[in-house]
Amino acid sequence: MKGPMSGRKREAIAFYLFMLPWIVGILVLYAVPLVASLVLSFTNWDLFQTPQWVGLRNYTGLLAGEGTSFWLALRNTAYYAAILVPVNLAMSVAFALLLNQPIILRRWFRTAFYLPSTIPVVAVVMLWSWLLAPSGVINSILGLVGIDGPAWLVDPAWVKNGLIVMGVWQLGGGVVLFLAALQGIPRHLYEATMLDGAGAWRQFRSITVPMLSPIILFNLVNGIIGALQVFTQVYVVTQGHNAGALMMVPFLYENAFEFNKMGYASAIAVIFFVMIMLLTLIVLKWSRRWVYYEGEVN
Amino acid sequence: MTSSSQAPAPARSAVRPGLRGRPASTSTTTRRRPRLRSRIPVYVILLFGTVLMVLPLLWMISTSLASTKYVTTFPPRIIPNTFQVANYGRIFSDTDLGKYLLNSVVIVIPSMVGQVVASSFAGYALARLRAPGRRVWFVITLCTLMIPYEATIVPTFVMFRYLGWINTFWPLIVPQLFGSGYSIFLMRQFIMQIPTEYDEAARLDGLSYFGIWRRIIVPLSVPAMATVAIFTFTFQWGNFLGPLIYINDSDKYPLALGLYAMTQTSNVGQTPDWNLIMAGGMLLTVPMVMVYFFGQRFLYEGANTLGQIRV
Repeated sequence: MKGPMSGRKREAIAFYLFMLPWIVGILVLYAVPLVASLVLSFTNWDLFQTPQWVGLRNYTGLLAGEGTSFWLALRNTAYYAAILVPVNLAMSVAFALLLNQPIILRRWFRTAFYLPSTIPVVAVVMLWSWLLAPSGVINSILGLVGIDGPAWLVDPAWVKNGLIVMGVWQLGGGVVLFLAALQGIPRHLYEATMLDGAGAWRQFRSITVPMLSPIILFNLVNGIIGALQVFTQVYVVTQGHNAGALMMVPFLYENAFEFNKMGYASAIAVIFFVMIMLLTLIVLKWSRRWVYYEGEVN
Repeated sequence: MTSSSQAPAPARSAVRPGLRGRPASTSTTTRRRPRLRSRIPVYVILLFGTVLMVLPLLWMISTSLASTKYVTTFPPRIIPNTFQVANYGRIFSDTDLGKYLLNSVVIVIPSMVGQVVASSFAGYALARLRAPGRRVWFVITLCTLMIPYEATIVPTFVMFRYLGWINTFWPLIVPQLFGSGYSIFLMRQFIMQIPTEYDEAARLDGLSYFGIWRRIIVPLSVPAMATVAIFTFTFQWGNFLGPLIYINDSDKYPLALGLYAMTQTSNVGQTPDWNLIMAGGMLLTVPMVMVYFFGQRFLYEGANTLGQIRV
């Protein structure tokens, strides 16, 4: 052992050695590509010729160019997220509350709800394109009650709803998180309000919701980001050839990897990145009003 | 967003390393008998939900066992009139899914090992080792969580293309070898709950920092490492966009992309063999379900660590 100084220095060296893979990763996979995305977004580049500097032309073309699909992709993505996220959130909380009751076969029920969320998206889409086929199982069942089912995954007016159905089917991950959070709520809180004569709804409003609020926020933020970034479902269902389901990431993919418009695609990436950041910040700011952290001093 | 960096998360008793098993049941269990009747609506709703969740799966299984002729009958029935287990043999003999499965395994295993080791390294450093800049690196790590993947996808593709890695597994595996913000955050939170007395005792015994990681941290953070391994498996096993961008040669398709390609290559006007596609879907699904089934107990502890996130 040498002096304390060299001990501290050795600890610092050890820190950077252990961090080395991740620091390289940050630089190579995040920092450099982020800057490169920004730079590329001001160019016109087809991967083969030298990139040309075009200034803001990619951006103006995207936002106001003739025949731009940007707003369509944005509208479709917003529709998908605006329905899927609240529905999933509400249903996850509701089912978690039910599954938290002292019922028989509770473990079996939980497994049933969790199972679909573990299935890879490609398999989910294979299964549901079979179930939602124009003359498939779902429409056969609808036919029994006299409803003429739509061409779910083909009709541009319906394809987003078909995709939402698949998303709702996979809500199990959220249910599990809410269940874990419900079990972390101390019983004595409920017992105290019971003595005060509070009913079930009142308990739900003034204990369960505040105690769950951090997890609600976590699921909300993750849900929004995940829904806005949807790709695999959309691509497998439509191959990008259904205007009703043109969404942001498939739109980016198409421009980058089918049309080789690297600069244009980078501009989409930059706009999308800024939008997600702003939306996340807005949600986080808004959450200060309703998220309750235990042990927080107000 | 980064307020979690302000103070070390308080240790919660449920996350003690080594404490495994099911969560304690709630004390309302004692009321089971008198309130059974009032729970009938609960059962009705849960049963309805369960049917919606499980029925599609049963349909996948039943279709995967049906004969090709039955598949096109209308209206479809849930109990097939045949049980052709041979369909599962046919996906290996008549299709390329066996090859795709092997490709998936070759991609997934190094990814899991790399992700676990790299994130355990960084998690240990961020949780335990004092160094100038540690706080900054932690904040940067959290910031990477907020960067959506498509913000970097074009330059990353250009970089791998420049390296000549198109049509190889490298662009899929290599990014996993550096760790990821999420795994590192999880490892760090978990390691912070291991008592520092162990490290100090090991220091006095003359163990190096690597020795402490190897002998103390690794054995005590198995649940967190398992959680990272499971999440990596989940991501990589189902990964579709990555292979779609980087792999053009169908001999190198992983299972998810290969299964998709199978539905696309049937002749025009001819519907693909749904029974074989559903059998392929099962091939993609079963390993994932098994990983979750056996990893459950670790995931519960991982989820608890996650529960302390304050966004």
